[in-house]
Amino acid sequence: MTKRPPAEQLDLAISTLLAHPQRLPAPRTNPNVAKLLTLVGPLRELPHPEFKVRLKTDLRRRISMNQAASSARTAKLVKFRRENFPNIAPYFLVNNAPKFINFLVGAFSGAERVRVPRADGSIMHAEVAIGNSVIELGDANEQYPQRTMTTHLYVTDADATYANALAAGATPVYAPTDEHPSGDHWGETKDPCGNTWYIATRRSRVAGPEGFLTVQPYLHLRDAHTMIPFIEAAFGAHTTGLHKSPDGKVLHATIEIAGATIEIDEARGEVQPTQSYLHIYVPDTDVVYAQAVASGAKGDKPPYTAPYGDRAATITDPFGNTWFLATYLGPEPNSPPLR
Amino acid sequence: MAARRLARKPPPQATDERLLVEAARADLSKFDALYELHFARLYLFIVGRVHNRATAEDLTSEVFHRALANLSTYEWRGTSFAAWLYRIASNAIADQYKRANRERSGNADTLGSPTRANIYSKKTESVDRGAFLFRLVEKLPEIQRQVVCERFIEERSIKEIAQRLSKTEGAVKQLQFRALQTLREQMGERHD
Repeated sequence: MTKRPPAEQLDLAISTLLAHPQRLPAPRTNPNVAKLLTLVGPLRELPHPEFKVRLKTDLRRRISMNQAASSARTAKLVKFRRENFPNIAPYFLVNNAPKFINFLVGAFSGAERVRVPRADGSIMHAEVAIGNSVIELGDANEQYPQRTMTTHLYVTDADATYANALAAGATPVYAPTDEHPSGDHWGETKDPCGNTWYIATRRSRVAGPEGFLTVQPYLHLRDAHTMIPFIEAAFGAHTTGLHKSPDGKVLHATIEIAGATIEIDEARGEVQPTQSYLHIYVPDTDVVYAQAVASGAKGDKPPYTAPYGDRAATITDPFGNTWFLATYLGPEPNSPPLR
Repeated sequence: MAARRLARKPPPQATDERLLVEAARADLSKFDALYELHFARLYLFIVGRVHNRATAEDLTSEVFHRALANLSTYEWRGTSFAAWLYRIASNAIADQYKRANRERSGNADTLGSPTRANIYSKKTESVDRGAFLFRLVEKLPEIQRQVVCERFIEERSIKEIAQRLSKTEGAVKQLQFRALQTLREQMGERHD
């Protein structure tokens, strides 16, 4: 009897296996062929290469459509926002604003760009640029008393910024560490007015084309999970990162509103709920004001056209945060205060 | 001649994967790299649980589309991107079982449907082995790759393949033999 060549023996055994997958190779199968037969089962389960290509094409098409929509959205976003207000600005109302400006300049390399004094020497409105963002401030008054707020700063060298902050009069809470759960190099201080500053250098992110904003307001809230549906309904916001504990509490969430972001978490332990003042540019102040009030916010000041060229309004959200809403209406003369 | 053994690439370091995820979040056109890295594993994870090629393709597609849509919500906090994909897949598979049960019996909660946890916890060694094999098949000489795909994935006969590739049946059997020898050698003894 003529012995079959190995390629023939292999194909015969493969044909049998394909027809009867559970059948074992014949006992007298050439050992080398038997070894090759162990691949038949795994090979039959492999995905079809054409499917891989087809799905990849589908995903690319979807990405391309998303990017086109996003570009259109961005083009629209730019129109309602003043060029030098990329972030949601924490608006500090403090007792002794001139001293606070000095602190921001010394601690965070801030650059004072606007100062509007009152007749009594106090400051009605000021702006300090920090990195690629802006912080606003003024002297507190009866209508807007001082509040202690929390702000997250993303800087290139957290250690150096932390040291500068201490030198400028901040109180240490803890020095920047790699052990922070975020994965970032992260430290914390309190300024002379009692505000908390998280000072971090990103370790976990690759910068996008625009880079990250230096300043992000950080809200500690009681029942923070209920802020998310409110802020989505009121501002058309969307949550870009959400981390919850097993019992549903928000350990951390990043929320995007009109192209800028805030962070929130559940107030717990030593971290008590905060109430902040926030200045935010939105595509349409009138619409956001109406949505916010319908979603449970208190309307403090209905929409009006401010002399400096913004459509403005003020609301207080259900957590007690005050939001100064604004929509940039177009080029205007150099005039400041929003309040 | 013994086929040259391909260097087995170590699994990507978590930090590398993390960079890929962050790059894709910043620019969705970079999602391709994540797709290439996880396509075979995800498909094999699913097909190993649904045992049907068409269903596995539908679900794989669904999972990648969901992952793309929700990439901004993924956070690197102790959960690898692969584990995140497997969770989405487990949910999709569980939903698929429910749909199938509903169509069969009108009851989505028919006993016997695996839970998401059961689906997720099944072992994944064969997934890694299969993904490695898939990469090896992609690297075969084109004509051998075609024979392997037609024979094992399309399940065509040698006669059909010979006609489609304009080869003799003997030549196709030789190509099949050489392809399996190469694959076997490159898979190494570890996967015996």
